[in-house]
Amino acid sequence: MAIPSKLTPEELYRICNPLEFSFNTTAELDGPVKTTGQERAFEAITFSMGIKQNGFNLFALGPNGTGKQSAIMHFLSDITPGAPVPSDWCYVNNFDKPRHPKALRLPAGKACSLSSNMEHLLEVLFTVIPAAFSSDEYQAQEKDIREKFQEQQAEAIGELEKNATEHHVALIRTPAGFAFAPEKDGEVLKPEEFMMLKKEERESIEEKIVELKTAMQSIMAQIPKWQRETQEKIKDLNRNIASFAVKPLMAEVRKNFETLEEVVLYLETVETDLIENFAQFLEKESDPRELIPGIFSGKFLQKGPAFNRYRVNVIVDNSNTKGAPIVYEDKPACHNLVGDIEHIAQMGTLVTDFTLIKHGALHRANGGYLLIDARRLLAEPFAYEALKKALRTRQIRIESLAQLYSLVSTVSLEPEAIPLDVKVILLGERHLYYLLSVYDPDFTELFKVAADFEDELSGDFDGKLTYARIISSIVEKDNLHHFDRSAVARVVEQGSRLAGDATKLTAHIQSICDLVHESDYYATAASREIVLADDVQHAIDAKIFRSSRISEKIREATLRNSILIDTESETIGQINGLAIYSLAGQSFGHPARITARVRLGKGDVIDIEREVELGGPIHSKGVMILSGYLGARFGIQQPLSLSASLVFEQSYSGVEGDSASSAELYALLSAISGAPIRQWFAVTGSVNQNGEVQAIGGVNEKIEGYFDLCKARGLTGKQGVLIPISNTVNLMLRNDVVAAVRQGLFSIFPVSVVDEGIEILTGIPAGELDKTGKYPPNTINGMAVARLTEMAEKLKIFNASSDDN
Amino acid sequence: MITKSNIIRHIAVALDCSPHSMASLTAAAEIARLMHADLTGIFVEDINLLRMAELPFCHEIRMYTTEPEKIDSSQLERSLKLQARAAHEALQRIAEKFMLKHSFRICRGMVPAEVILAAVDADLLVLGRSGRSPTCRKGLGSTAKKALTEGKKPVLLIRPGFSVKKWPLLVLYDGSDGSKKALTIALDLAHPGITLNVLILGETHEEGMMMELKLSETIIPPLHSIIFYHQLPLNNLKTLSRAIRLVDSGLLVLSENMNISREAVHKLIDEIDYPVLLV
Repeated sequence: MAIPSKLTPEELYRICNPLEFSFNTTAELDGPVKTTGQERAFEAITFSMGIKQNGFNLFALGPNGTGKQSAIMHFLSDITPGAPVPSDWCYVNNFDKPRHPKALRLPAGKACSLSSNMEHLLEVLFTVIPAAFSSDEYQAQEKDIREKFQEQQAEAIGELEKNATEHHVALIRTPAGFAFAPEKDGEVLKPEEFMMLKKEERESIEEKIVELKTAMQSIMAQIPKWQRETQEKIKDLNRNIASFAVKPLMAEVRKNFETLEEVVLYLETVETDLIENFAQFLEKESDPRELIPGIFSGKFLQKGPAFNRYRVNVIVDNSNTKGAPIVYEDKPACHNLVGDIEHIAQMGTLVTDFTLIKHGALHRANGGYLLIDARRLLAEPFAYEALKKALRTRQIRIESLAQLYSLVSTVSLEPEAIPLDVKVILLGERHLYYLLSVYDPDFTELFKVAADFEDELSGDFDGKLTYARIISSIVEKDNLHHFDRSAVARVVEQGSRLAGDATKLTAHIQSICDLVHESDYYATAASREIVLADDVQHAIDAKIFRSSRISEKIREATLRNSILIDTESETIGQINGLAIYSLAGQSFGHPARITARVRLGKGDVIDIEREVELGGPIHSKGVMILSGYLGARFGIQQPLSLSASLVFEQSYSGVEGDSASSAELYALLSAISGAPIRQWFAVTGSVNQNGEVQAIGGVNEKIEGYFDLCKARGLTGKQGVLIPISNTVNLMLRNDVVAAVRQGLFSIFPVSVVDEGIEILTGIPAGELDKTGKYPPNTINGMAVARLTEMAEKLKIFNASSDDN
Repeated sequence: MITKSNIIRHIAVALDCSPHSMASLTAAAEIARLMHADLTGIFVEDINLLRMAELPFCHEIRMYTTEPEKIDSSQLERSLKLQARAAHEALQRIAEKFMLKHSFRICRGMVPAEVILAAVDADLLVLGRSGRSPTCRKGLGSTAKKALTEGKKPVLLIRPGFSVKKWPLLVLYDGSDGSKKALTIALDLAHPGITLNVLILGETHEEGMMMELKLSETIIPPLHSIIFYHQLPLNNLKTLSRAIRLVDSGLLVLSENMNISREAVHKLIDEIDYPVLLV
């Protein structure tokens, strides 16, 4: 089998040619940023926003920083201006049931007008009502009614007194009422004087007194009735006067809202209440304890909370809204979503009224679009459930959480629910979407559309131009220096590197944004007006340097042979694998020694990492695949009479992934065949049972990690890395690696099957079966078969002698 | 010159705990403070009540009790004592507030006669227009009537809501000695800055104008006060009563020794619902 050629420098790094761009700097780009490669997500968004049925809310899924929110905002800002402006909403007092405030819907911009109308009305009433009640006309009428009662009473008692006086009986006021007694010349008779009277006279007087008492009692019985009648008359008079003062003013307010039936009905109830409770406008000063400084605004509110009931609590004011509202709720706590009923402490008690109802994001977004970060939503207690309830019932019902869960025991409100018509867009990572889909049956009912954002953009010219426009928009937005086209090309190349694919560009806009900012910083530091490719490179290198402490420590330990990595000799059963370390978003590669040992056994491969529970399941799977490969290749003619053990040397933490499985197989083949492996090579790639080498992740970091070590020890021209051929497209290597390859100091071999790799590593061909079904003796496979046959014989002899014994 | 006389050095006020008598106490205290006079409270235990309680067939009819109840003498005595104590305490409170020299007397007998008798040493008797009389009448009470007809003058009849300090004064002036005295006492009661209305009752308009001219030359008003002169040809009592209501002043000051008959003066006082100082 022919061994593959080394990769050329051009294959290691796909250059973005600045001359591809027609602009010189990003300052020349002023068009809108049109993202390409997200057609699937945009199609989902268009569908979700267009469909009116319930439950077609959107979940935009994709990694954080891919610009989901910006893309959706951009999309919505195109469609919302043409949409109708939603209604205003306000809460007003329910005069029949104050615990259940009424919700009023008004055309956009009218709620504030109603509120100011009511404020003005009340201010005027504070002048008009006292004036009406202090008028001569009212005073005279009231006096007349009261005097009539006095006269009625006085007349009835006066008649009786006159009657009594005619019969020499005096009517006397006692401490608690009235009494009759015989009198002479204005003085009550003493008992002895009375007894001196004739019997007939005494009897006559006593009879008269009894008669007068009865008459007085009947008058007494009438007095409460007269009092009631008088009160009624005064009440009627008051009502008439109040009505006279209030009605014309209310008519003015009503006229402004005559087309709004609901508002007119509300104003009628206000009018009735004002007339019934006119007396509150006559009080000169309210009890200062009733005032709550700092809580209320508005002049009439200083009069005290009693007047709050005529206030209009504007919950949604769309007077300045153009089209449908787009609301992004940054803190989607339950009360920020559905609103809240606040309380205030007054004289040691928590009190509330409809003016303390606070709107939520759903109120603001009603009739439009609400964007929420899914992770934040789920992190807020009760918020997700509250949102689902609102979407399911299609109404916003404000409930005090404290009340709902009996955390506070005080009077609260149950405001009338407001109909909800909103599209909710949740933004989140993919695993959140899949978790919610599996575990929450409501979720799929309420969020029927998923906009799955791509992680990568196409690396074609459109993609590159999109990058240029993104850079331009960041520069404009954040007032940075513009990028020249070479700098843009360098950012594009870094985008490919971050995507891990030379033909793609990363969609992680946040990373690009960071790179733009950092490049601008270095351009500014160098007093440049335009950001150049060098600044971008400086930013990339500086970032790597900032996060390279650990990789350097490991390399240092390797150079001091604390970590044993051989890059010079040839050794049997030992190979340099390539591991990748990921810490806080930064990755770096480093070689790891893998060794294999064989002995007589039953054909099993022992993964020492797994035995000590340091190996993850994928790694264990990779090792087991090796057993399958060995069995298929060498165990057809005879059973495998060996046991092999594999280990990652000097590994003190877990090993996961199967990217070292090809390296492990090479080590095994070397150990079985006895052919030494050239230690100046490092290997990465997984392998299947057929011996095909498969793609792995982090190829660039792995190559660079090994290159750095070799460079530190001195490049000899022999050193190199074997990578799966399918990873060639992922190569976007550092400039120094490419330069070394160009100078012939370093090599990268794309390997498609294990047989190719083992030949590169040992210098001995792998060997193919000849016509007799045997491998040639001076090949790896031939040497392995010979060794296995020898081991089988030994085992056979050993087993026979054991049986004899 | 017509100026302050300062003849009032001792004021007696009748107290029975009714709203009228409490208003009387306040007015009396205000005047006493103004004129540096002493104040004596008079409480009369109504002999009629006590006698009635001893009669076996006399019962008390109450407004909110269905059956009349027998009046208990001892209970009545106790409640009169409580009333007296309340009146005394009210007097002490107000005297302390106005820093007045004061005394309190309890008498027993017919109320009008005892009030007049107790106030015989006083330079001014103050009492309510009506007291605890049963008929809730609009006009004067029995004690006020008796004080008008039989009592020593000057007498001040008060109704609730009146304040000597705040309300303007109205003096009836017809050139008689009595009306001159009334004007003098009115000046005694006048605070600095007060409004003084003088209703001049002339036989003819010219006579009235003459009196006004003379008065304006001779009268020495208190500091910062304003004097308004009103003219009324004296035709009949009704016109006078209407004119008094029209001026709508606070306290009416008049004399019973004017060119109008004494009875007419008493009738006028009975009819108008204003506080009155009869000189």
